[in-house]
Amino acid sequence: MTTKRGLKYDFSLIAILLIPIGVAINFVGAQIVLLLKLPVYLDTIGTALTAMIGGPWIGMVTGLCTNLVKGILNPVSFAFIPVQMGVGLVVGLLAMSGMFTKAWKVIIAAVLVSLTSTIIASPIQVLMFGGATGNSSDALVATFLASGQQIWTAVFSTKIINECIDKVFCLLIAFFIVKKMSPRYLSKLNYGSIFIKSKKQ
Amino acid sequence: MDQIKKSILHLYPTTKFLVTLFLCISVFIVPGYLYAYSVLFICMFFSYLAGSFKEFSDLAIKALLLIVVFIFILQSFFYPGTHVIWSWSIFSIKQEGIDFALNLTSKIVAIGSSFILFFRITKVKDLISSLEALGLPPKVTYIFLSTLQIIPEMKKLTIVIMDAQKTRGVETEGKLFTRIKAFLPTLSPLILGSIAGTEERVLTLESRAFSAKVKKTSLYTVEKTKYDPIVRIILLILLITLIIWRVML
Repeated sequence: MTTKRGLKYDFSLIAILLIPIGVAINFVGAQIVLLLKLPVYLDTIGTALTAMIGGPWIGMVTGLCTNLVKGILNPVSFAFIPVQMGVGLVVGLLAMSGMFTKAWKVIIAAVLVSLTSTIIASPIQVLMFGGATGNSSDALVATFLASGQQIWTAVFSTKIINECIDKVFCLLIAFFIVKKMSPRYLSKLNYGSIFIKSKKQ
Repeated sequence: MDQIKKSILHLYPTTKFLVTLFLCISVFIVPGYLYAYSVLFICMFFSYLAGSFKEFSDLAIKALLLIVVFIFILQSFFYPGTHVIWSWSIFSIKQEGIDFALNLTSKIVAIGSSFILFFRITKVKDLISSLEALGLPPKVTYIFLSTLQIIPEMKKLTIVIMDAQKTRGVETEGKLFTRIKAFLPTLSPLILGSIAGTEERVLTLESRAFSAKVKKTSLYTVEKTKYDPIVRIILLILLITLIIWRVML
């Protein structure tokens, strides 16, 4: 059986209802990280999860909504909307090409996703915020600058290091959770069949 | 005083948004950083009138202070320049860096504080209802409203799940590795549970004709007040004067 995919077909009601859940997972993931005092962010688990089972467009909208809601309390997030959207899109596309069926493939996918988000985030950070983000990673940027690097390379290197660690965890967690989902539910989503097939092997 | 507070809070959401937009645009029209910084104080004044001064200043400090401080540190030390003001071994603060940081942070503070003000004096429910009146599809408004409802619900559920896992013997405190191991047992029941709930919600929504292609009615509407046109005209006049003043200069 082939399902129709694309911008027109992806926004079925069950996929739309996935978006608020995805946004909430992004928030709750970050909250659990705070409660358990872990040294990572993990605030894109929801975006990755919805992109994997709902497709790239649903992933993009989840990313957009996440930063719009974050922006209500901290307007700086509005500037970083394209980053979350890019993550959703790329994760969705990688999932379509079967990159989320085995754990080692997920790690390769994580590197690609962190490269994407670094490429999108660095210009925003350098041009709009002079290289700062207001959290602890700025110390690393300052260290790179002090060692004689240019602002672009300093921000880019800091980002890629942070993102790689963060995205490997995020995508692995999303991957393990999707693996636990029931085929009955996955079959209702346009992109769920990829993960049902990978279960049989 | 109460009268002013009421009339600010009851303005139509899009009018309030136009005020925010005007403040953001004016920062780019008026040169120099002094005006842009004063936007922060304008916003403070409005938030005081609207009776949300404490919330406004709390959020503004939380969201903007750190980033401004970091920009100053990064730019004043590492911006290429020749006018050294202060130096210590290899580090030196340059005039060009400070100027650049002042310019950049003043705009960030202005735009950031005007948006914080906007969300302090506007209920998201009102904003979305006014956007729906402008022609936003009800599916989009549903996504936003249910997102805002689900987040606090799921945060509560997280605490419940963590407690439940603790009683089963999952350790949530201690060494780093123990805490990492507690992450998945907390998150996966939460996600799988809430995703299972979406199937039921689909049935509920469909039984209320959510996908039907007809014009939807709403129980909740926001009315325009008599002050709305006045505020809009004042904004337009101010914007035109600013542009003319800038061109003549």
